[in-house]
Amino acid sequence: MPPEGGSVGTGAPAASEIYDLGYRGYDGPRLGRAYAAWSLFTASLRAAFGLGRPMRSKLAPWGLGAVALIPAAVSLAISASVGPQFSPFSYDDFIWQMQAIFGLFVAAQAPELVGGDQRHHVLALYFSHALERIDYALAKLGAMIVALVIVMGAPMIVLWVGRILGSTDLAGAIGDELGALPQVLGSPILHAVGVGSVSLAIAAFTPRRAYATGAIIAIFIIGQGVAQAVSRGTTGALRDIGPLINPFVWLDGTRDWLLGRSVPESPVVRSDLSLATYGLVALLFVAAAIGLTIWRYRRIDA
Amino acid sequence: MTLIATRGLTKRYGASVTALDGLTLDVEPGIIGLVGANGAGKSTLIKILLGLLAPTSGEATVLDLDVRTDGSRIRSLVGYMPEHDCLPPDLSATEFVTHMARMSGLPRAAARERTADVLRHVGLYEERYRPIGGYSTGMKQRVKLAQALVHDPRLLLLDEPTNGLDPAGRDEMLDLVRRTGTEFGIATIVASHLLGEIERVCTFLLAIDAGRLLRAAPLASFTERTGTLIVEVEEGSRELADRLTAAGAAAEVDGRTVLVDLPDERPYDLLRDTVAELGLALVRVEQRRGRLEDLFRDAPEVTDAA
Repeated sequence: MPPEGGSVGTGAPAASEIYDLGYRGYDGPRLGRAYAAWSLFTASLRAAFGLGRPMRSKLAPWGLGAVALIPAAVSLAISASVGPQFSPFSYDDFIWQMQAIFGLFVAAQAPELVGGDQRHHVLALYFSHALERIDYALAKLGAMIVALVIVMGAPMIVLWVGRILGSTDLAGAIGDELGALPQVLGSPILHAVGVGSVSLAIAAFTPRRAYATGAIIAIFIIGQGVAQAVSRGTTGALRDIGPLINPFVWLDGTRDWLLGRSVPESPVVRSDLSLATYGLVALLFVAAAIGLTIWRYRRIDA
Repeated sequence: MTLIATRGLTKRYGASVTALDGLTLDVEPGIIGLVGANGAGKSTLIKILLGLLAPTSGEATVLDLDVRTDGSRIRSLVGYMPEHDCLPPDLSATEFVTHMARMSGLPRAAARERTADVLRHVGLYEERYRPIGGYSTGMKQRVKLAQALVHDPRLLLLDEPTNGLDPAGRDEMLDLVRRTGTEFGIATIVASHLLGEIERVCTFLLAIDAGRLLRAAPLASFTERTGTLIVEVEEGSRELADRLTAAGAAAEVDGRTVLVDLPDERPYDLLRDTVAELGLALVRVEQRRGRLEDLFRDAPEVTDAA
């Protein structure tokens, strides 16, 4: 794009330059609602990683993303030098062990995705375009979830590639590790849907960034401490149900149910709840979070 | 084509606040001024036309499309510049306007091209690559206008476009609005409580008060000659008025001037003869023109609904 049309050096005053260019109409395609929603999704996904924004917007997502990757890389190095059987992480417990990092990621980025549009009244513009209110809610939810799939999935894939490359018997390792693919891909997707929908629902309810971040930290990080304390310190129904305050607990139970093996540190192993119950709880929480987000944007004054 | 038509349009907030009260109007394309005091219902009407607010009762169409059922289609053909601040501070004008063009369904390449065009039109140059957070109010207003224009709308809805601008900024913004309406040929509705501004750019006027239509007519009809003659004399306005009244004309003193009712041509001769008889120094004789202010000054007092 030439910066100033063709008038550079003519010395013409700016006003007449504007005037002389004339106005051109637009007769090209208007792609409508679905395209607008898709565009909002891709723009929001970029925003989740601070792309196209100042450096300070990139700090949190890229910093936390790197912190999530480092253990996987270290694990890769250890298994390459000592052997895969000494890897400090398994596919089953990686997200559980790193949950504080992912909790911080949504605490920083969920308010980034939805808070600013409320704070700066940009919603009035969105809702006066081809987009419907529900499209806005779903595009933002989708962007949050896909951002998490990337942040949670990248280290898992590093782990997976590392195990294959670190093996002495490459062909045999590929055969072994192929069977782990459902976990390597499924676990990040499952966790991203749960963590993304709950955190975005919380963030959507306030234009104030500090409130949203605080509430998300309370649920995901303080909630983890509470879940562990309740799980270890109580018995019976409280021990089983109390830890469900932390989404990572019901997500771990669901993962256990669908994809893998138990994580010894997880409250799930000390609970009498069936694994399928965790799946049901997860379904209810995710449905409630998505429903609340849509409801919020239907009601919000633009 | 009817630009906007409403039938008995009513909007109530809760039980006590009535923002629009049975508004019925038909508007043809042009530059239309929507005037009324703060709280008269201008913003509410605009939001209903955009489908952002649902009316409590009544009907409204924009470009022959129903606001209740064709909201999405209407919004893709309409550009809206809100009254309040609505820009994200961390994006540049180029990025933001391109994004909004895509929200109207323009493909990526077309969105970029149109953004460059309209930002030039509104007079934003190098600064369009810097974050909006550092812009002056005048620059922000230009970005708001640019995002409303970027998808080449058939109708522009501008809500108080000169809000917060200094006199020079007002002049520039009004000039932009006039050019958009006349040269670009985009039907434009300008909501404002500043009659002087409306007078400068609009060709048609919608005056609303307390949610009801006060008057809808071409701007010229508001300022056309009235049936009153203004007669200014050096001194002796009292004597002149008395003589004229005695001779059967309706005249009253207003400072140094005498206002004479003009039902037909007869008072002219009477005035000439009377001034000559009294030997008065005549300064000026002219037919009074209407003023927009009269519209609201003469409006019936409406008791507060709230």
